[in-house]
Amino acid sequence: MSSQPTAPEGGLPARLPEWARPRESERRGLGSLRLAETTILILLGLLLAIATINDVAQQTHVNHRLVADLHTWRAVTGHNYRNLSVEQDLKGHTTRDVVCGNVSPGGPKERTQVCLVLVGPVLSGRRDVSGGYYLPAQTVDERRSRYACFGAAAETGLCGLSKPPAGAPSAQPLPTGR
Amino acid sequence: MNGAISKDRGRRWVPPLAGALTVVLLAATIEIVLDGAVGHSPLIPKSPQIAGWLTGIGERLGFRVFLIALLAYAGAYGGILLLARRISSRFAIALTVALQLIVFAGPILLSTDVFSYIAYARMGIVHGINPYIHGPTSIVGDPVYHYVGKDWKTVATAYGPLYTLISYPLALLGVTGALWGMKLMALLAGAGTLVLTWRCARLREIDRRFALIAVGVNPLWVIYGLGGAHNDLIMTLLMMVAVSLTLARHEAYAGATVVGAALVKATGIVLLPFMLLGARREIPDGPAAAVQRRQPPPAMLDVPPARLRSRAASGIHWPTTPIPPSISRRTLSRRRLAPLIGAAAAALACALAAYLAFGIHGVDVIAALNRDAAFVSTDSFPTEIAHLLGKPGVFPIDHDLLKAGLVLIVLHLMWRTWRGYDWVAASGWTLLAISVTSTWLLAWYTLWSLPLAAVSRDRRLLVATLVVQALFIVHQTAPLLAPVS
Repeated sequence: MSSQPTAPEGGLPARLPEWARPRESERRGLGSLRLAETTILILLGLLLAIATINDVAQQTHVNHRLVADLHTWRAVTGHNYRNLSVEQDLKGHTTRDVVCGNVSPGGPKERTQVCLVLVGPVLSGRRDVSGGYYLPAQTVDERRSRYACFGAAAETGLCGLSKPPAGAPSAQPLPTGR
Repeated sequence: MNGAISKDRGRRWVPPLAGALTVVLLAATIEIVLDGAVGHSPLIPKSPQIAGWLTGIGERLGFRVFLIALLAYAGAYGGILLLARRISSRFAIALTVALQLIVFAGPILLSTDVFSYIAYARMGIVHGINPYIHGPTSIVGDPVYHYVGKDWKTVATAYGPLYTLISYPLALLGVTGALWGMKLMALLAGAGTLVLTWRCARLREIDRRFALIAVGVNPLWVIYGLGGAHNDLIMTLLMMVAVSLTLARHEAYAGATVVGAALVKATGIVLLPFMLLGARREIPDGPAAAVQRRQPPPAMLDVPPARLRSRAASGIHWPTTPIPPSISRRTLSRRRLAPLIGAAAAALACALAAYLAFGIHGVDVIAALNRDAAFVSTDSFPTEIAHLLGKPGVFPIDHDLLKAGLVLIVLHLMWRTWRGYDWVAASGWTLLAISVTSTWLLAWYTLWSLPLAAVSRDRRLLVATLVVQALFIVHQTAPLLAPVS
């Protein structure tokens, strides 16, 4: 047992130095290698655990923010709709969200939509409305489709249309702030 | 004496505790299945009504109920795993069978993949379209099309040609029939894996009940793997067939079976290099058997029998039986080459069959793998680490770094296997490393290493696999902490 043999083979393996020969079982006294492997595994495990918990915390914050976004949109517009779309600033990694929903009852994006730009921290379940704009029905949220900008959205020139499209319902500016 | 009494007192708690844990496992599974059968849930893919007879009992499955049930299940699994060596084999088998059957009776859970399998089969059989060139968008009018996940409608199949050919006959059964066929195939493949896990554990001197429960009661195995009828279970079955064949000294067939596993899902090929380096050492007539017969192998004579038994029970660092002198060098050399010869013959035969069935695209598995390797999922560990470092996600350079890291790990494991490390454990570590370094991680990818870990001689592998799975489950819990209405 103490002199566990290397494989009883001829050919190339037999000509290799002892440390490189294939073995039938692991050499005794590999404790230091095993310890090093286990240490690396534990460190990797810790890294993965920290990364996972960090991600869960981030997701929880994002969910918390999304709940406040939806609540703010419903409070500001006075519509208690469920089908709202929320766009996060994934590129800039900021907490600026845009929430859009119909101005009158209907399926998602089937009516003219009002979008609110929400910024800042969550306070009392709501966030600051920095501005907003309107979108015609069945359109994608792009600058060329936006009209009737208000608040910071008007100041930063988020709207591509200078006036509402023909037949669009009235587009009143909504209150900004909290 | 006192120690013996306290041991007995401790053991009196085992039956009620095991019973309570079993109740939690069964209740959590039944809750998920009954609520899932109601449908209209973001956790249940749009599907033909296959579990209609279960509706009316549960309520729509929401994130909250699902996550609580999953966490309860995972906790009970951890408990029953700790008790596994103290419960009877009959109990372990009954629990495992009950869980598999409950999930089998219910709806498809948590994934639309099974509809992609059916779509690819129907493309080939019903519509005469090559699934290796076109995606399901080529059969927009087919009844299965609406059930395919939106991200996969334009994507050609990435599965191996053997799996595609196996799935073809199911296309003739209609969508509902094919769905039951897929569920049955997953159930049988999972059951086969569990039977072989049991057998391999016995041959490798590892507690069979522990191995069976580690795999068959595992939450990701039962709820995600079997619940979604994933073809990963077929790959694990073939991997365990290969391990079992090496233990029976059928190395050539084992090599051929590994190729079969790779032709279901390409990752199955991972076993081959380690098998070539280490499988020659597998001799089923192990040292513990020699202890029982009171005829220890010559090389073990200087180790006390009690120590032999304890090592066999722990499964850690078990020195494999040395090759008997009666085996000649030529026999040994043949045995070493046997997996390679078997693998080459199988690869040749399957490549020819795949070429005849699907053309050159059916043989080009590497292209499909490269395409899938570029995908990124939010559940992947590289993505989580990128977030930890303040990055929005993984970049192309990260993919290269991860691949380089994986290559280093594989080289280290190959070296260790060459120098006597357990080849089954090395294969399991590699599969685990693939799932951890992949930027596209799904729950069922963490199952690849599980059966190998359960029969491995290195217990660290099972611990690492379960830790990775636990972290995956923890990562799902955000909706529980801050539900979005």
